[in-house]
Amino acid sequence: MVKFEYLEPTSLKEACALLDQHPDDAKIIAGGTALIIWMRMRLLNPRLVISLEKIPDFNYIRYDDKDGLRIGAGARHREIELAPAVRSHYPLLHETFRKVAQPRIRNMGTVGGNLCQGDPLTDPGASLMALDAEVTLTHSKGKRTLALEKFFVDYYQTDLQPGEILTEIHLPPSIKPLGWSHIKFTPRSVEDFATVGVALTLRAQKDTCEDIRLALNSVAPTILRAKRAENVLRGKKISDGLLREMGETAATEVDPMDDNRGSAEYKRDMVKVLVRRAAQEALQRISLQL
Amino acid sequence: MKRFVALKVNGEEYDIDIEPNRLLLHALREDVGLTGTKEGCSIGVCGACSVIVDGKLVSSCLTLALACQGKEITTIEGLAKDGRLHPLQQAFLEYGGFQCGVCTPGQIMAAKALLDANPNPTEEEVKEWMSGNLCRCTGYYKILEAVMAAAHNKISSDFQVKHERKTAKIQSLNVYKDS
Repeated sequence: MVKFEYLEPTSLKEACALLDQHPDDAKIIAGGTALIIWMRMRLLNPRLVISLEKIPDFNYIRYDDKDGLRIGAGARHREIELAPAVRSHYPLLHETFRKVAQPRIRNMGTVGGNLCQGDPLTDPGASLMALDAEVTLTHSKGKRTLALEKFFVDYYQTDLQPGEILTEIHLPPSIKPLGWSHIKFTPRSVEDFATVGVALTLRAQKDTCEDIRLALNSVAPTILRAKRAENVLRGKKISDGLLREMGETAATEVDPMDDNRGSAEYKRDMVKVLVRRAAQEALQRISLQL
Repeated sequence: MKRFVALKVNGEEYDIDIEPNRLLLHALREDVGLTGTKEGCSIGVCGACSVIVDGKLVSSCLTLALACQGKEITTIEGLAKDGRLHPLQQAFLEYGGFQCGVCTPGQIMAAKALLDANPNPTEEEVKEWMSGNLCRCTGYYKILEAVMAAAHNKISSDFQVKHERKTAKIQSLNVYKDS
């Protein structure tokens, strides 16, 4: 691993100032589960590593009925998994974070670090997207908020600009009843990355779909929302045929790669099946059986 | 540039001089001199390097040693007290929870972190928790049995005495002579 200097700023302001002073050769470390591996592989060779660990109150998880859920970017996966507010108001998030890697990595990795890595194989992004998450990006002169789906740009690339730190994830208040499903399809072992990941939320009145969000991971250069597939169902009377059509449409929106978790063709086929199953499970959760 | 760091490992302070890129794993093994913690995959998957930092199970291969200043680090060497094995260590011996032993320090530290937080886990909870610790020889049932036995106090009370007696007997045979 390359040699670097290591600093632990004690405020966000100080961290942003350090980033400004070192625009080209500094990297932020949070949990370290991604950055250390990349540095050991010499994919990244920063001169300065800035830890966010000493920044106070950076791992908060707060819920308010009017405002929704606010998660500090330094919150560990395990903290989100176990947070009572997440369990009761966002069961989809609880279920998703429970499936991230294994408990040891969940003790270490942070949600902010996960999103900034821009890895399309990881789970949290899809579920956060299906819950309309937006992220706050802070720099020395202010901050901006961005819908999470606009944050992911390309393979391991995000919209994070030099000098910016992802500081908060915000979810709108939970709507009840909300049908939801999370499928992490792993043909090998549970702690592996998904071959196909599906996160889906929907609302329905009688048998008509009022609104739907469908996000997929591991099947394209970024975690993505399958909007054309959503439109197949949105505002329509739900039928078995329509769910099938939604799965088939989703399969046309993805761009998977051949790798050791399956061929591109196989992943595309599994998208068809798993999107349909996710919708069925979400409907069952709001007691709408077809 | 090297930095002076005080690491608190198993209740003792160790003053070491390390580069900022020193990983906790290598600091423990090479600077502190505690080689019980093993390096396996080096990418946080296999669990061989598991240690407990401030009560939380972590991969020491993905942790910077500098980031552990002021924290309580517990390694496998910190479990036995006054010549007596920790119940988990004894359970792994009694229930045959290992063969080659490379994964064992990590397995035991993972199990300890679980039992510290949840002294009475179900088999399912043990399986889920231990999913991040890979064993390539003995399989997982013996490990599961060992953890459950330690949790439910199903380890023999006279194990230590018998073990010492056996060791003494072997030594009395004088087979292993110093050359």
